[in-house]
Amino acid sequence: MNDRNRHPDRNRPSQGNPGPGPDGLSDGRLVEVHSQLARDKEEPREGFSLTPIVIVFIFCGFGFWGGLYLTRNSGNFASTAFDVNAPKAAASAGPIEFEPDAAKGEKLFVAQCAACHQPTGLGVPGAFPPLAGSPWVAGNEERLIKAVLAGLAGEIEVKGVKYNANMPNIGAGLKDAQVAHIATYVRQAWGNTAGPVMDSQVAVVRKAIGARGQYVPADLLKEHPLETK
Amino acid sequence: MSQENRTGRPRGRPPEGGASRLSRTEAGLRGPFLCFFTFAVLWLVVASLLALIAAVKLHRPDFLGACALTTYGRVAAAAQDTFVYGWGFNALFAVNFWLMAQLGRFEFRNGWLATLGGLAWNLALTYGVVQVFRGELGGFALLDLPREVGPVLILAFLFAGLWSVVTYARRPSGHNFASQWYVIGATFAFPIVFLLGQLMVQWFPSVGTVPALAHAWFVQNLMLLWFGASTLASAYYFIPKILGRPLRHYYLAPVGFWTFFLFAGWTAPAALLGGPIPIWLQSVGVVASVMSIVPVIIVGINFYSTLSVDGGWSRAWNSTTLRFVTVGVVCFSLFGGLSTVFSARDFSAVLAFTSFAQGQQQLLTYGALTMTLFGASYFVLPRLTGSLWPSAKLVHLHFWAASLGLLVAVVASLAGGWQVGHLLADPAVSTAQAGDATAVWTLAGSIAAMLFLVAHVAFALNAFGMILASTSPTSEGRPD
Repeated sequence: MNDRNRHPDRNRPSQGNPGPGPDGLSDGRLVEVHSQLARDKEEPREGFSLTPIVIVFIFCGFGFWGGLYLTRNSGNFASTAFDVNAPKAAASAGPIEFEPDAAKGEKLFVAQCAACHQPTGLGVPGAFPPLAGSPWVAGNEERLIKAVLAGLAGEIEVKGVKYNANMPNIGAGLKDAQVAHIATYVRQAWGNTAGPVMDSQVAVVRKAIGARGQYVPADLLKEHPLETK
Repeated sequence: MSQENRTGRPRGRPPEGGASRLSRTEAGLRGPFLCFFTFAVLWLVVASLLALIAAVKLHRPDFLGACALTTYGRVAAAAQDTFVYGWGFNALFAVNFWLMAQLGRFEFRNGWLATLGGLAWNLALTYGVVQVFRGELGGFALLDLPREVGPVLILAFLFAGLWSVVTYARRPSGHNFASQWYVIGATFAFPIVFLLGQLMVQWFPSVGTVPALAHAWFVQNLMLLWFGASTLASAYYFIPKILGRPLRHYYLAPVGFWTFFLFAGWTAPAALLGGPIPIWLQSVGVVASVMSIVPVIIVGINFYSTLSVDGGWSRAWNSTTLRFVTVGVVCFSLFGGLSTVFSARDFSAVLAFTSFAQGQQQLLTYGALTMTLFGASYFVLPRLTGSLWPSAKLVHLHFWAASLGLLVAVVASLAGGWQVGHLLADPAVSTAQAGDATAVWTLAGSIAAMLFLVAHVAFALNAFGMILASTSPTSEGRPD
């Protein structure tokens, strides 16, 4: 391998780099030099770049990202999880699998509706109509959804008693799922026995009615007449 | 190499030396090396011929279509097997061998054992390829040889490949060098990967998606731990060797080595993104693919910072060996970057089932590995045969045809995969229309295959002319 070093006159580069010739290190020298280098860092000198520091940060960044990515996309390392979205859906019970929950509905009802309709669902005689046993909330779900989304204004007759209603559009500020929870609660509490309401139904109605003012109860009845028992 | 600088002609060792100037290390190496190398070049020519036929059949299906022997499935499988097991392995046996013996100052005594392993390897491979042409092939790429071939190949590998380990263990000097780590790592990794791959895919295939996962794991590890690591071994040797100066930032190299072997083995599931395998495996594959950028960056720092000082790039360009090796190193970096970026799920959803992955693999097997091996051949062969490369024109033809072919092939696969993937994902485009869009890219693939064939025939003519012209070695040896 050293034959080239025997012709230094021919091969010496103009830069005059001392040490091994320009045409190659001998193999023994190659190994020795690098063993030395592996032990000691290169001496910092003028123009020494901070590359190593920078790459340490970059590599730590990659490692951090890797851990984050694995945690979020590993499906809890279950052998039965095959879809990247499955674990998220299972964790938050979000939009994919909606289950109407009367317990959540009750909390929302207490916060949003009970001021007028009262926690007992009986309303205030002469001012606010009752929900317990009211035919308005049973039967067709859309009537109830529309009332919650858009509100009511005008004369309304509930269980033979007339009220002058002014119900704000409370549902407009709530999510579909929240409206569905409230409606489900109202239809199943205080002895009411109507079926649950799904968030998809709320979404359909919300889209259908658009942004509109409060319903006049008589108009609402034309769209969805009260079911006779 | 400065000879080349002046005349553009790669001469390797100056003529006055001749065979009598072989060192004792080289004299012991000569037999096994030339044996492996001869097989490698023969397989390379066969593989490029088969690849050309397969490439033409992609846009002219009736070409040689009348006979079962030359149907696409058999020709394409045989082309890949001969390229990987014929060219890649034989050439790596030779070059890794040579690296280990030179760096470890090891004198071969029983080189015939390695030659025996090489003969067994090539006989088994020939039998396997004949069986493939008879239609006896499996459904998993690179594990499609008949399963009885596998055990012979593993045994042959132990004879031929593990000499590298012996060389390392017996080396008289206690030092070691990056090339040696990578060769040792590759030599230990491959038999294990090959054994497990064969057991889980061919001999005792499990049910469901496990064989597919095992197959992906095998292919990925074969590509990275054997081909990738061996490429790096050669690059780590030739760059400081020919430039005549130590690698810069060499103290980072061990980090590169360990992170490479740590992450590469985990990247396989990224090839199966969206498939029916547990999501955590897919995510591990993605993370490992992204983390693999760490060793890619480190070897990039080692190589490019060494090449960037003192006019290294122009010297690399003027040395035949280093010109090939540099192309190989650049291709390795490109491959690493692409693997990292395109392991993302959003890309995979579009690019799966297109030629994109094939383009990435070609960047590694041809761009990185094969170009580096060509460079190594231009360095080693003149030293072992004691003669010159017969034709400088053929060397230039080899380089330009191979580089141009590589460029056309990789661009056609990547760009074609990108375009077709987006067409397939577009509901407004019918599958037939998306299929029509591949026509221009498969035509480009044929042009690339033609260029490869020209390059490889030029290389083979030159190499065999050189081997035949070489004088027989003397046993007296040249003190080193």
